[in-house]
Amino acid sequence: MVQSRNSVGEEHAGLARYWIVWVALLVGTVATFLMSRVHLPSPFHLLTALFIACTKSMLVVLFFMHLWDHGGANRLVFVTSLAFVALFIGLIVLDNGTRFELTNPARGATLKQEPPGPDLIMPEGVPVPWQGHGNPLAPDPQEKPAGQAR
Amino acid sequence: MSPSLATTPPAPPAEPVYNPRNYLNAEAGIASWLLTRDHKRIGIMYFVGTTMAFALGGLFAMLIRIELLTPGPTIMSAMSYNRMFTLHGVVMIFIFMIPAIPGIFGNFLLPIMVGARDVAFPKLNLLSFYLWAAGAIIALYGMIHGGADTGWTFYTPYSTTTVTKVVPILLGAFVIGFSSILTGLNFIVTTHTLRAPGISWMKMPLFVWSIYATSVIQILATPVLGITLLLVAFEHAFGWGVFDPALGGDPILFQHMFWFYSHPAVYIMVLPAMAVISEVIQAAARKNIFGYRAVAFSSLGIAFVGFFTWGHHMFTSGQSTLDAGVFGVLSMFVGIFTAIKVFNWTATLYKGAVRFTTPFAYFLGFMFFLVFGGMTGIALATVSLDVHWQDTYFVVAHFHFIMVGGVIMAWLAAIHYWWPKMFGRLYSEGWGLVSAVLIILGFNATFIPQFLLGNSGMPRRYYSYPERFWPLNVASTAGASLLAFGFAIIAIYLAISLKWGKVAGPNPWGSRGYEWGTLSPPPPENFLEQPVFDRPPHDYSEELPGMEVTHAT
Amino acid sequence: MQPEAYVAHHFPNLRQQEHAARLGMWLFLATEILLFSGLFTGYSVYRFLYSEGFEQASRLLNTTLGTVNTLVLITSSLTVAMAHHFSHQGRGKTAAVLLFVTLLFAAAFLVIKGFEWTSDFHEGLLPGRFFTSTEVSATGGPMFFTLYFLMTGLHGIHVIVGMVVLCVLMIQCWIGKYDHGYATPVELGGMYWHLVDLVWIFLYPLLYLI
Repeated sequence: MVQSRNSVGEEHAGLARYWIVWVALLVGTVATFLMSRVHLPSPFHLLTALFIACTKSMLVVLFFMHLWDHGGANRLVFVTSLAFVALFIGLIVLDNGTRFELTNPARGATLKQEPPGPDLIMPEGVPVPWQGHGNPLAPDPQEKPAGQAR
Repeated sequence: MSPSLATTPPAPPAEPVYNPRNYLNAEAGIASWLLTRDHKRIGIMYFVGTTMAFALGGLFAMLIRIELLTPGPTIMSAMSYNRMFTLHGVVMIFIFMIPAIPGIFGNFLLPIMVGARDVAFPKLNLLSFYLWAAGAIIALYGMIHGGADTGWTFYTPYSTTTVTKVVPILLGAFVIGFSSILTGLNFIVTTHTLRAPGISWMKMPLFVWSIYATSVIQILATPVLGITLLLVAFEHAFGWGVFDPALGGDPILFQHMFWFYSHPAVYIMVLPAMAVISEVIQAAARKNIFGYRAVAFSSLGIAFVGFFTWGHHMFTSGQSTLDAGVFGVLSMFVGIFTAIKVFNWTATLYKGAVRFTTPFAYFLGFMFFLVFGGMTGIALATVSLDVHWQDTYFVVAHFHFIMVGGVIMAWLAAIHYWWPKMFGRLYSEGWGLVSAVLIILGFNATFIPQFLLGNSGMPRRYYSYPERFWPLNVASTAGASLLAFGFAIIAIYLAISLKWGKVAGPNPWGSRGYEWGTLSPPPPENFLEQPVFDRPPHDYSEELPGMEVTHAT
Repeated sequence: MQPEAYVAHHFPNLRQQEHAARLGMWLFLATEILLFSGLFTGYSVYRFLYSEGFEQASRLLNTTLGTVNTLVLITSSLTVAMAHHFSHQGRGKTAAVLLFVTLLFAAAFLVIKGFEWTSDFHEGLLPGRFFTSTEVSATGGPMFFTLYFLMTGLHGIHVIVGMVVLCVLMIQCWIGKYDHGYATPVELGGMYWHLVDLVWIFLYPLLYLI
């Protein structure tokens, strides 16, 4: 599809589209930066950032990647992948968000880098994760052999 | 309903001819195979490779069953036993089952069934095969150096702290994942862009619909497995990762990410099996499928709804009860689509002219085992019941019913149904039926006791068990031996048929599928003349020139 | 060579082949999106659990450099889109120059990223158990940095792969391979580069602007 006649006008029109999108993307970047400096209440700063990011991505996808011009199966593929990402993230965050709180990973004061010490239930203390090399199950000549059946 | 051929005897066959210039002998030399871009040759290479993987996975299975012959140690230590079941799972799932039917029969048949000369990206197809081989070799390296003992599910935190060689196995699975992605990509683009004139979406063979649905799952799910395994490998190798509780991580996040792939993965395994069955049933009954649209769309239904159900593997792991409830309900929905297929396949038999051939025997096995396995799946999807059955042999029996009773039966049906097309020769039908019976009996003997064991409380992946489980375990091992014997017989008579089998001709089954309109074995360019596709696939309403039965069986 | 010479034997015509190539590339990009989604999922879960820790940790990142990198990548997307535009018209040399400019921007991105990473290493802001900084008091700081390095690392690998692809395309454009009506490889390479930009468009606010 080599252009022959009246190509200069069309070519500049085609290029103009890219420049306009580029400026919009720059504006979007500045906007998201400035909005992050404004202290919005809790869900809104994330939502604003995501909204601006989605708008910028739509511009890239539609105009730089030509999804505006070539439709059909390509659009279906792109939208489907986004839908499944949303499903993936959504159901997992829903899990962490609705669990009995103590079963979530420790937050705040309950997280300690050191294992907890001995207590009534475990007088020898909590076992520390294996941090050495070699095979922990290999029989140590000084000790009794580790049990086989669990 | 289109009339069947029940009242019309087949025309007396002309002497069947073995196509002298076919894809197997058109070019000679090892380089012509290793650098081929012919989808048929790539299919054969997958056949050889995945069958070897199946043999290896089967060997691990036999070792497991022999170990479980006695309650205490029998032939190996506990650590070795952990490795055995891990490697059995990894080899059977990643190296054998996920590539097998799409790689062999998808590659061989999909382009022919849409009237194309090759898949959309033949070089990418060859790359898919080499990625599969590379991944298998990397995993094999890990196996030789001791293998992993984490189970094929690689649950953290054990998989990130175990001393066994888990990283090569993870990397092998990662590389095979790319093979899977590229195959799926190729099939989707081929189906969208290379259908011959006359083959609209609603005129495609049902095999193509199911393989297409499989490919959609491969594209969407496999990358998630890739990143998950990569994260585990990083955490194991370098100690920085997102699953370690001591660093604030959540082990259940691993399970979410892993099962987001691995549940759709079981549909990657089952949908191609259903693809095969849709073809075999129409040829065996010599009747067009009942409810084409329902079967076609149910494949897509399984593909999509299968993504919404992964949490049913985690009912007892610690996810929230809300999520457990959501996943439980959604898991029930996916059974609807399988039920649609089962009803339609059965209805296809009604007033059909069924000939009891070996593929039909495997079809029967498939149907019964899929139904029972599927029903136990719905039972397991009930949260309150799963609390009792989770991590017991009940689950093991359930998925083996689907994987072996369903997918392997369909794999065997596919091999027997398309053997004459791929190699131009017929195997011995008598031995085929004998081994089908042995396989079906052996399967029952192996896995029905496991349902009983699981319900009585025997946990899975356990090296030893109380004495009261001894008799059922012995029965299960006996069944496994019968299965192994059956597979050995199949290998023998199929190998014999390659050289000494009767010549099949283009259409020994009298099937109306598009692929039976070309020579056996097919020429390199699939069709000698561009065929005209003006009838739906599997149209048995009248005699068709070029589709006559060439060998009355 | 006429465009028809580029048609493979199993495609009926060039238009069909180009359509297939584009669809194939979109499918591949879908897999890349799903690949990154695993890391975005981890990010979502841990940001939800450790929102304060993430906020504090994010302030330790250099937002100026992050913003500059965003502008660099956006501009590189512009230049690669323009490169395809000219290649499509048979002006291979202009396309090659634009691809070269894209590569410069990509290299600038990596250099800036390198600066950021090295300064993070010096401050003890490292992934996982190597995290030694005491700047973050709320829990979740180390997890933020683990995710930061994993996500920008995976993104960086894709930038490098993209640079290799664009370099090959640049050379082929310069020697005139795509001047005769067949510019699909340039389009496909550009699409991959746009994906790299897309991922960064999300990484930037999620990592730097919490």
